Amino acid sequence: MSRLRALENIRVVDFSWVRAGPWATRWLGALGAEIIKIEWPENERGRLPSTTTPRNLEVNLNTSGNFNDTNVNKKSLSLNVRTAKGLEIVRRLIAVSDIVIENFSSRVLQNWGLGYQALCEIKPDIVYVSMSGYGHTGRNHQYTTFGPVAQAVSGLTYLSGLPGEPPAGWGWSYMDDTGGMYGAMCALTGLYHRNMTGQGQHIDQAQMVSAVPLNGPALLDFTVNGRGSRRAGFPPGNRAHWPGTPLVNNYRGPTVAPHNAYRTHPGEYNDWCVIVCHADEEWQRLVQVMGAPSWANAEKFATVAGRLRHQQELDEHIEAWSMTLGKYELTERCQAAGVRALPVQSAEDRVEHDPQLRHRRMYLPMPHPALELHKVQNAPFELSETPASNHLPSPLIGQHTREIVEGLLCYSHEEFRAGFADGTFWPTKRARFPYMEEMLQ
Amino acid sequence: MTDAQALPGPLAGLRILELADEKGQFCGKLLGDLGADVVKIEPPGGERTRHVGPFLDDIPHPERSLSFWYYNTSKRGITLDLQTADGRRLFARLAATADVILETFRPGFLASLGLDYEPLRKQNDRLIMCSLTPFGQTGPWRDYLSSDLLHMAAGGQMASCGYDEADVPNAAPIAPGGGNAWHMGGHFAYIAIMAALVHRTVAGQGQYIDASIHEACALTTESAIASYIYRGEVLRRQTGRHHAAGPTPRTQFRAKDGSYVCALVAGWLNPKFVKDLADLLDSYGMAGDLKDPKYQDPAVIAANISHIIDDLVANFIASLPAEEVYHAAQQRGFTWGAVRAPEALLEDAHLHDRGFWKQVEHKELGRSFIYPGEAAIFNGSPWRISRRAPLIGEHNIEVLHEELGLSRGELAVLAENHVI
Repeated sequence: MSRLRALENIRVVDFSWVRAGPWATRWLGALGAEIIKIEWPENERGRLPSTTTPRNLEVNLNTSGNFNDTNVNKKSLSLNVRTAKGLEIVRRLIAVSDIVIENFSSRVLQNWGLGYQALCEIKPDIVYVSMSGYGHTGRNHQYTTFGPVAQAVSGLTYLSGLPGEPPAGWGWSYMDDTGGMYGAMCALTGLYHRNMTGQGQHIDQAQMVSAVPLNGPALLDFTVNGRGSRRAGFPPGNRAHWPGTPLVNNYRGPTVAPHNAYRTHPGEYNDWCVIVCHADEEWQRLVQVMGAPSWANAEKFATVAGRLRHQQELDEHIEAWSMTLGKYELTERCQAAGVRALPVQSAEDRVEHDPQLRHRRMYLPMPHPALELHKVQNAPFELSETPASNHLPSPLIGQHTREIVEGLLCYSHEEFRAGFADGTFWPTKRARFPYMEEMLQ
Repeated sequence: MTDAQALPGPLAGLRILELADEKGQFCGKLLGDLGADVVKIEPPGGERTRHVGPFLDDIPHPERSLSFWYYNTSKRGITLDLQTADGRRLFARLAATADVILETFRPGFLASLGLDYEPLRKQNDRLIMCSLTPFGQTGPWRDYLSSDLLHMAAGGQMASCGYDEADVPNAAPIAPGGGNAWHMGGHFAYIAIMAALVHRTVAGQGQYIDASIHEACALTTESAIASYIYRGEVLRRQTGRHHAAGPTPRTQFRAKDGSYVCALVAGWLNPKFVKDLADLLDSYGMAGDLKDPKYQDPAVIAANISHIIDDLVANFIASLPAEEVYHAAQQRGFTWGAVRAPEALLEDAHLHDRGFWKQVEHKELGRSFIYPGEAAIFNGSPWRISRRAPLIGEHNIEVLHEELGLSRGELAVLAENHVI
């Protein structure tokens, strides 16, 4: 696999931690950029606390499974940037890099003397992407976010749930995943612009702000039509429309029925299938797949208006049928007949049972020095000439410190050893991992 | 900032041809808002996404779909029937001038017209073509039908979203609304296209991209996959908070005005946090016994988690409007937020400070409307909406006559024959 990669020879200085920033640089790494992750064990956030360490291993800085999946394709430089010597090393590193990415609070890098102007003095065409909660400008720039808070404040949480119930929200930090997407998108966009014009720039990406445009049609319904989302029947659960409430579009495509999740055999926690009919012909095909039961021939179900009006009854009939089939069997029968249906899939389903993801090699095993062999998630796209790939497992903390300090930045081995002795590369009072002792030989 | 707004966007100079429905129009909008010249090619009569509501003043019409408006800003629009020989020939000529083609047809459709990547590349080896489809170009589900709800089911979103049994017994898994499956696919497709463009600045050659929305969704459930791979865990749905292997304390509380607050407490309960929390509650006279020095003992905190969360925090939030809790808490360093309906964002002072809301002119209506703006501020090449969505065939003359060189007579013949 020695094929050319899209971001060959691009170097990224990565100050990011937890999820959103590391998720961004993970993809730049998969596309071939050299990602140098700057870490310090005393204030590390992302490796610990770990709830994804395999049960047979000790929880330590190098055994988080989630960290591994989020940080493949990177190198780790452990460095105390809060010392003059550490800062000098960072400056030398930035001088030979293309992109700086960080997801600290809005003023942190500036306080270190590494604001955009200072970065330009070190590297005039640097692409500097800051990924903060609220951005570097605006009165609430010092506010902080985690995914759930960004989702709440931006309106995303409100779009999920059943009418009359509290918001169901998003069961994970969607805006950490998506914030990471925007970080990578901004970095690539800035890089393209630099390659075309020779100009770098500062890109102020904000997790809470990036979430707002994801509500576009709902926002336009308000700014154009004056219709807010606090209304009867919204959000409509999995339906396009909630029965018995005013007939309006609910921002999930066409207003149709059936459009819902239905329980499947044997009725366990994740035994559900979703079925959607976008047109009368699709509904008629579903009727055939269900064996043309007499209830389905009722005039009230013949039109989309009728199916919307009698949706509750329609859904009960469909579920009585769907309960007789497993979710994969139901999916295959429906899709073979041209009916939109797919199973609700847990993580286990996706990794073990999804034939499409298996065919597309979504989860391939990759060895890791501390975690052994585990599956890692692959890119959702294939570039014909420069395919993305997972080519490095996530780094052990500080694993590449010597390679970077001596190999890339041309410090001598004596200087490297001195940096360990004075606490620049590892806290003097903290036990070193065996691979650090080897580096010091 | 005013100066930066006058600069060209970061993708200025790029020509994108977009052949996309709901699956790809958001990716095209991103490219257009970031400065590329995106030419949307619709079938004569318009793309069917023009029939998705809501509509301006609730009057259904292909030029009045707010969904279409939103997802097609910063694009020009032409009409072209690719099923005709003339349409195919014109498309090939346009492809010779393009940097990127973004298409969302079912796999094999463009090849059946002789307009797949290989023949188009022969006349333009710098061309990048991205096929963004539900499942990609290969595999057993390749030809399956999809929708936003279907992707949220199979992608894993629904398995993670829903309700505590105590809140809504027997609740189905819930798919968050808003069309986010298309957003997930669009974000990854944008990344793939940009990677190919960056590579082209060095290598000079284009390439073909096979992007899958199902895979993009399957990648977008944070640590769910890692929890399964490393721990064998299948996570449970919980009301308004993270999926988890076992139950975790609630984080969503009803405020006095009936809306909710997301208040992260349980995972943060150390003595320092409790002291700050006591100060926050005390500033409203709601600290209860939390100022008692005994709460500086981690063991006492651990024994009183339910009292702190379900009594003190819940009562505090119940006594105030959600927005007031949000700001009071954030100003004291708490990562809390109000659960807002989208329209509340129009009153968010922080977004106004950032110049987030944009007036977009709809000249043919004699009106301007407020649109949400950019996800990030670029200080050297702005991200901005350059124009409203195109009307059907609005730029046929501009693109086909003025730029491609067809005569007006030829255009008339094409129109008469329903090619454009």
